[in-house]
Amino acid sequence: MAWELGRRQAFTGIAAGLLLGSTAHAETPQTGGTLNVGLASDAKTYDPIYSVQFTERHVLYLVFNTLVKYAPDFSIQPELAASWETSPDGKRIIFVLQQGVTFHDGTKFDAEAVKWNIDRRLDPAVNSPQRELLAPVIASVEVLDPYRVAFNLTNPSPAIFSLLGERPGFMVSPTAWQKLGKEFATQPVGTGAFVLKEWVRGSQVTLEKNPNYWQKGLPYLDRIVVRDLAGSIVGVQRLLTGEVDYVGELTASDVRPIESKPEIALKPIKVGRWYFLQWHVNAPPFDNAKLRQAFAHAIDRKRLNEITMRGQGYISDSPTPEGLWWYDPAVKSYDYDPPKAKALLAEAGYPNGFEYQLSTPQVAIFQQINQLLQEQLAAVGIKVTLQPVASSEWYARVVDGTTNMTPTRWTQRADPDGLMYILFDSKGFANTMKYRSDKVDALLEEARITYDVAKRKQLYGAAQQQIVTDLPMVPLIFGAEYAALRSNVRGFEWIPDQIPRFREVWKARS
Amino acid sequence: MKRPGLWIGSLIVGSVLIVALLAPQLAPNDPYRSGVEMLDLPSTRHLLGTDDLGRDILSRVIHGARISLAIGFGAALVGMAIGVPIGLIAGYFRGRLDFVLVSLIDLFIALPGLVLALIITVMVGPSVRNLVLVLGFVMWPAIARLVRGQTLAVRETVFVEAARAVGGSQNWIIRHHVWPSVLPVVAAQFAISVSFAIFTSASLSFLGLGIPPPAADWGGMVRSGYDYLAINPLMSLAPGAAVTFTVMGFYVIGASFK
Repeated sequence: MAWELGRRQAFTGIAAGLLLGSTAHAETPQTGGTLNVGLASDAKTYDPIYSVQFTERHVLYLVFNTLVKYAPDFSIQPELAASWETSPDGKRIIFVLQQGVTFHDGTKFDAEAVKWNIDRRLDPAVNSPQRELLAPVIASVEVLDPYRVAFNLTNPSPAIFSLLGERPGFMVSPTAWQKLGKEFATQPVGTGAFVLKEWVRGSQVTLEKNPNYWQKGLPYLDRIVVRDLAGSIVGVQRLLTGEVDYVGELTASDVRPIESKPEIALKPIKVGRWYFLQWHVNAPPFDNAKLRQAFAHAIDRKRLNEITMRGQGYISDSPTPEGLWWYDPAVKSYDYDPPKAKALLAEAGYPNGFEYQLSTPQVAIFQQINQLLQEQLAAVGIKVTLQPVASSEWYARVVDGTTNMTPTRWTQRADPDGLMYILFDSKGFANTMKYRSDKVDALLEEARITYDVAKRKQLYGAAQQQIVTDLPMVPLIFGAEYAALRSNVRGFEWIPDQIPRFREVWKARS
Repeated sequence: MKRPGLWIGSLIVGSVLIVALLAPQLAPNDPYRSGVEMLDLPSTRHLLGTDDLGRDILSRVIHGARISLAIGFGAALVGMAIGVPIGLIAGYFRGRLDFVLVSLIDLFIALPGLVLALIITVMVGPSVRNLVLVLGFVMWPAIARLVRGQTLAVRETVFVEAARAVGGSQNWIIRHHVWPSVLPVVAAQFAISVSFAIFTSASLSFLGLGIPPPAADWGGMVRSGYDYLAINPLMSLAPGAAVTFTVMGFYVIGASFK
């Protein structure tokens, strides 16, 4: 029965979480110690209701809990919501909350607090950036009893779970928020494993262990200090001296000087950013399918990976990397076949070659990829000139349509609808390829209101195969990125949103 | 040695010229061919190591000489083509024309060269042709002013007075008296302009506004190598040294005339 589905999911989630937890902590965690995190911070506020910047979430996940959390494959697991049930029509979800949870200021966490949190996000007077995300989906939130809260949705929307695992899901203390007002940004109060003690802007954030944390046994660390870094090169130096224990966002080249050092452990992110080459498919010249296929066959993705990622990335055949629950290994893109590329180029109407401009943002990885593409395409008679554009201008020009052919990259979203809809649905706001496929539209529309995971997987598989065949873009690679840690730091595991989670990290003293 | 600067400078410039002319023969590898040995340190196959795309740094530095000299000479010629006539006219004919031209020259001299070049390049987009024109445009005021000064000086000399008394035409006077006097100054300034153009174009490339990749342009190479200083510093140091060496050579020639 559909009502049972949510509960089953929740229990599987808990079981998986426990199993994952037990395998990750094969040794016994030791308590105590301070973790120094190096981060090139762009934080403006630690109020989750207003948070927008990428690095703010690093601290938010320590000070706050979310209603649900992400597993390493982006599947949804319980956190402040212990379980949930979805109605048969998919428009009502009842969350059963954890009991015995209090905010750092002593306020009780209950259904009223959840309702208050969501209402704040939806309130136009509060003007939260999350309002645009939630308002089309959530009609209202009802308190059923102190530990059960119902979300009434405007349409069935499985993506709501992924939203409740990130910014809209951070539960804020209503008492503290109302009392502190603007000061809440620097004195955030949540239910999380750590309490924010001090924030010296431009320098560091100090977080202390929450002695009353509701997940018994956690956290292991006494303190976390997030230290501002100028950049990854500085971070690597500080890691070597032991001044910091963690540095993230390192490229395959950044880690070269440290990869064989025994005191450093590298953690490659398994789900990297997706790099692809895109163009306008609604007008000449790229409305010509054979021309697009010629490009696709001319590109050697293996070599791109070897040179730009030192072989540590993954070849992309579809928008989805291995490691996410909606990955479909059956979806394949066009293979590397230069003779076929030449033949298709002639069939496309360009027997004497084809010339075009390739927009090149002034970012090292794109310059590298473009130079390699230029080389590979030249081998089949396609001459691309690299057109440099300032990185601050680049995406704006892609959006307004001035730029036709360009490489680009995207971070994975927690729900498959997240990236695929905005990029490939004809109504997607990030569909700068002007791609329109009625078949794909229908598949995506159906998948975004289906709660059945197996069914969704099937729908996204079909949609991805169609997209990859149609070539509104040529998928290239999934990037390799690393975090580097001192070897005595244990329990660290990447979540595909590229925000490091430190709640369950511990330091070995021996 | 009468003019040591001239000899040293010529030696330096001469060697750069030879490298530029014989680049395809001198370069051990294809400067544009990527490879899987990225950021390798110097070896027998790659005397200066490889860059982030596995390309031979030595070959790229050698080929870079061509681009740098082309821009240097091109920009200097453009600057001369605009600045010399303006300077001659302003200095010889004087009067209201001179006043207008001097004001124009002073206006442009007040603007710092690199900043002006930056602004214009952002607007028109970077390419070899644009760089030559922009840098030439940035340099002409200084050239004009110098030529004007020299013209003024010559104008009042005895020779010119005599020629005028005898009835020589303006053109004849300019060609036979003024120009030979101005020429040494122009030659010196030409060398200095080449030096300035090469240095400024390398700076623009370093800031991301120079010749786009995959061109083996020295400034661009310094920029790309910046992220990899910890791995193979030669990626930045080798082209940087090439710029320094070349710029110094031209400057020393120009300075030796003064």
